[in-house]
Amino acid sequence: MPQFGTTARQIRERLRESDRRFSLRQVARRVGVEPAYLSKIERGVVAPPSEATTVRLARELGQDPDVFLAMAGKVSSDLQEIIRKRPKLFADLIRQLREAPDEAIFRVVRVVRDGDW
Amino acid sequence: MITLEHDQLTFRFPDVHADARCSIEFQRTLRIPDDDRTYYLPPGLGRFPLRHLDDFEDRLKREMVRRGGVVMPIHQAEALWISFDVGYDERFRHPYPVAVKIATGKICAISGQPWEEGLSQDPQNYVVLPEQPWLDGYCVEEGVIRQFVAMPLGDGYTAEEQLTGEAVHGGLQIAAYPMKRKVFDELLRRYEESLADEMRRSPPPDGFDMVCSPPAKEMGLAPGGRMRQEIYDDPHGLDVWDQEHGSRCFVTMANSAQWMAITGEHPPTVPPTARQYAKAGLPWFDYYDADHEAIAGAEELAGLKSVKAMGQKLGKSPLPENESSGVPVVVLKPKATTQASHAGKGEGPC
Repeated sequence: MPQFGTTARQIRERLRESDRRFSLRQVARRVGVEPAYLSKIERGVVAPPSEATTVRLARELGQDPDVFLAMAGKVSSDLQEIIRKRPKLFADLIRQLREAPDEAIFRVVRVVRDGDW
Repeated sequence: MITLEHDQLTFRFPDVHADARCSIEFQRTLRIPDDDRTYYLPPGLGRFPLRHLDDFEDRLKREMVRRGGVVMPIHQAEALWISFDVGYDERFRHPYPVAVKIATGKICAISGQPWEEGLSQDPQNYVVLPEQPWLDGYCVEEGVIRQFVAMPLGDGYTAEEQLTGEAVHGGLQIAAYPMKRKVFDELLRRYEESLADEMRRSPPPDGFDMVCSPPAKEMGLAPGGRMRQEIYDDPHGLDVWDQEHGSRCFVTMANSAQWMAITGEHPPTVPPTARQYAKAGLPWFDYYDADHEAIAGAEELAGLKSVKAMGQKLGKSPLPENESSGVPVVVLKPKATTQASHAGKGEGPC
């Protein structure tokens, strides 16, 4: 998944232009991995990290964890659990929405209901 | 439309612009000492869980269900701060401005006025994103807020009870309004021009009474200790905001026992005290943005009694572990993205 590493590096380096705390070493420390390992991830030398590390890295870089997991070829464990509980329902739903435009999907996304207050 | 994503409220305004959105989360934090000294910004200790209120309809009072929105757990005397972020134009990474109103018990935390629909500039009753990266409390003076501290509604501490004499609403209320599309398009055009000028001058180098039996009191927010934080003046003016396309949300606040009875989930653990945090040598934060002017504090809010002061008046000691604290400070400045600033406040020393 070289795209994962390349994208992560590009975002980190863009943030580092205005904030030194986004150096490889400091980001690695906050994410909880060795700098050398993060470097290998960014260069695509090793496979993308575990789900937990990928989510921490996404949050550290201000990115959506699900998008980062998808780039890493993974689906978050909470989503897997949701599908496992009602596999047919969610499989059908996802397949039906496969080609739907974003605005159509937003119409089926659950919204926070505003009431009378 | 508002969605709940990873314990964040995401406001989207697709009828206005694809990039017109903002996300709002509630961060757990230390309660700063309520001793009339002015403290710096405390750290973020992670997001409060948020759940759709409708999921627990059969366990809630009818009036709570009627409000809609979300529910969050919070311990008595626990503090929170609110973190904001906006959507960005894809081409230039230019933020889409959004105006946000924040009220507690339907009392505006910025102006001290009762909740009204829409925005007002005299006095200003909203914050402007992305200029305002976060809000930690009630705007009581220019450059000073009193921290949001959760107290049981009905005990007399909340801003709502102090200003209205009634304990009706509690919780938090939020409304967001995007910038008008044509104004944003013009903002983007001017930004593009300024970028082109810059390129010409210097080319770049290569390369949050139930049916069951938990305590019946809901939680509300009350003014706690003093903290340095500027609430910035609207640099755009009232006319730029698209008030026909606003969205709003009621955030019901439940104490630990209520939360467990409603959701069946355990609430987050009690956060460390300010003294424990300082003893560990960890810093608090300061934020400095010389490019924006701060608004004056609201007289109504300045006259509020802090939780400690109200406790003394009532002959009670509502705040455990309220010792004064001295701590090192890390200064944060505006960043290219608000995520970076948020991480700085949330993650501790760097």
